Amino acid sequence: MVRTRYFFSETFTSLKRNFFMGFTAITTVAITLFIVGVFAVIVYDIQGITSSIKSQVELRVYLKDEISEELKEYIEQAIIGWKETESVEYVSKDMALERFKKQMEGSDILKEIEGNPLPASFDITLNNPEKIDQAELRFYDRDGNFIEGVDDVIYERKVVKPLFAITAIIGTISFLIIIALLLAAIVLIFNTIRLSIYARRKEIEVMKLVGATNWFVRIPFLFEGFFEGFAGSIISIILLYFICNFLLIKGERAIADIMRIKELAIVGSGNVMLYVYLGVLVLGGLIGILSSIIALRRYVKV
Amino acid sequence: MNMIELKNINKIYEDNTVALKNINLVIRKGEFIFLVGPSGSGKSTFIKLLIKEIDESNGNIYIAERNICNLKSSRISQLRRNIGCVFQDYKLLSNKTVFENVAFALEVIGKPVYEIKIRVPQVLKLVGLYNKLNSYPHQLSAGEQQRVSVARAFVNRPPILLADEPTGNLDPGTAEGIMKILSRINLIGTTVLMATHDRNIVNSMRRRVIELEEGEIIRDQKRGVYGD
Repeated sequence: MVRTRYFFSETFTSLKRNFFMGFTAITTVAITLFIVGVFAVIVYDIQGITSSIKSQVELRVYLKDEISEELKEYIEQAIIGWKETESVEYVSKDMALERFKKQMEGSDILKEIEGNPLPASFDITLNNPEKIDQAELRFYDRDGNFIEGVDDVIYERKVVKPLFAITAIIGTISFLIIIALLLAAIVLIFNTIRLSIYARRKEIEVMKLVGATNWFVRIPFLFEGFFEGFAGSIISIILLYFICNFLLIKGERAIADIMRIKELAIVGSGNVMLYVYLGVLVLGGLIGILSSIIALRRYVKV
Repeated sequence: MNMIELKNINKIYEDNTVALKNINLVIRKGEFIFLVGPSGSGKSTFIKLLIKEIDESNGNIYIAERNICNLKSSRISQLRRNIGCVFQDYKLLSNKTVFENVAFALEVIGKPVYEIKIRVPQVLKLVGLYNKLNSYPHQLSAGEQQRVSVARAFVNRPPILLADEPTGNLDPGTAEGIMKILSRINLIGTTVLMATHDRNIVNSMRRRVIELEEGEIIRDQKRGVYGD
């Protein structure tokens, strides 16, 4: 009891004394963790979007009009047999025309079409979209020509490749920014603790002289660092709550409506935001304690 | 019982200055000892070794017949609870009252409040400052400040009291007051070791005198005087 009261009163005396430094440290932690939280939401959403787009990636194999039934059957069986095939759908010439008409409804192009110029195709969905190159190669023979009966193979390479690259870049950049901000927060808390150790050097000297244990000397500073990290994380959670529920949520609703993606951080069914808040809280406390430990190791010796 | 015992103690600082050379010494429980010698003769080093503020280069030190040379850092705090220390510069905390300064010594070793409330007034009566409980150090005279410092060193009733030049900043009359308190503390059975330059005090008290010169004991005399 005595000790707990002592530690709390020491901690708050020290926070009062170093008000400006403490305030700066808390603000930095708050901003840092806020940005960490926003990035977490964004990265989660981008991952949801890309994985949804990835699963929509398909390979379309156009067949020559004059292909025989046997050969068509043979190719279909072969495709089903590959390990990268998720599913395959045969689209006949008539179905292709129907689809085209639907897409172009109301356009003048339709009037100019005579007969059915569209080829039949196999639409292949892959279980791992990154294996798309490998799947494509199967339709070429050794000389680099298409195998018999195949007229062309297309997929949306132009969309898929840059998308992977952008995801990777955003991930890396946000990771670097977060690391830099975390370091800044640690340095600032470290500095406040260093200052309050300096402000209390006489007390520390007396404490050691009369036989206070090392832990007894250290705990108020650990409390102080923890408090600064923790207070910063609470502020950042409040900021995150408002930003997410009044601003980011609109973007997510739009994405959910247009792209039919369910795995989003805020509007999704999983409790992603709960984990983000919890993570921010834990991170705040850890930053605070870690900074104090570094300062104590450097400035308080037995 | 041997309260303090040093066997073949040497202390050489990192810059190779030799502070203590082959010190052998036994101090028994309840003795009052003056440690004399010019500045730089090793008096402060001697005191710092006893509270393990610094480590000896070689040799063994026994406090209450226990070797303290290889104490773990967690044990050093226990050692210091049994040795009170008084310094020339008092080392009082200026933002705390007399009562708080003395109570602080008990608080930080985890004594309960009721014990603090009993012991602090007791020890302040012993040093004659019971009427200044709520004064701040800057409101006190130098002698009074040193008496607070003695009270703080003794409030936990340690069996050993070390004093490093406790009268160094005081005029003779005030110094005499401090010596009366130290004698009283010694009479209760506390072993007192006082490093000093003060010829008059040593000569008037007639206690055991250990004289250091360039890190060596050159004299150890019962009921001694300051020297030539």
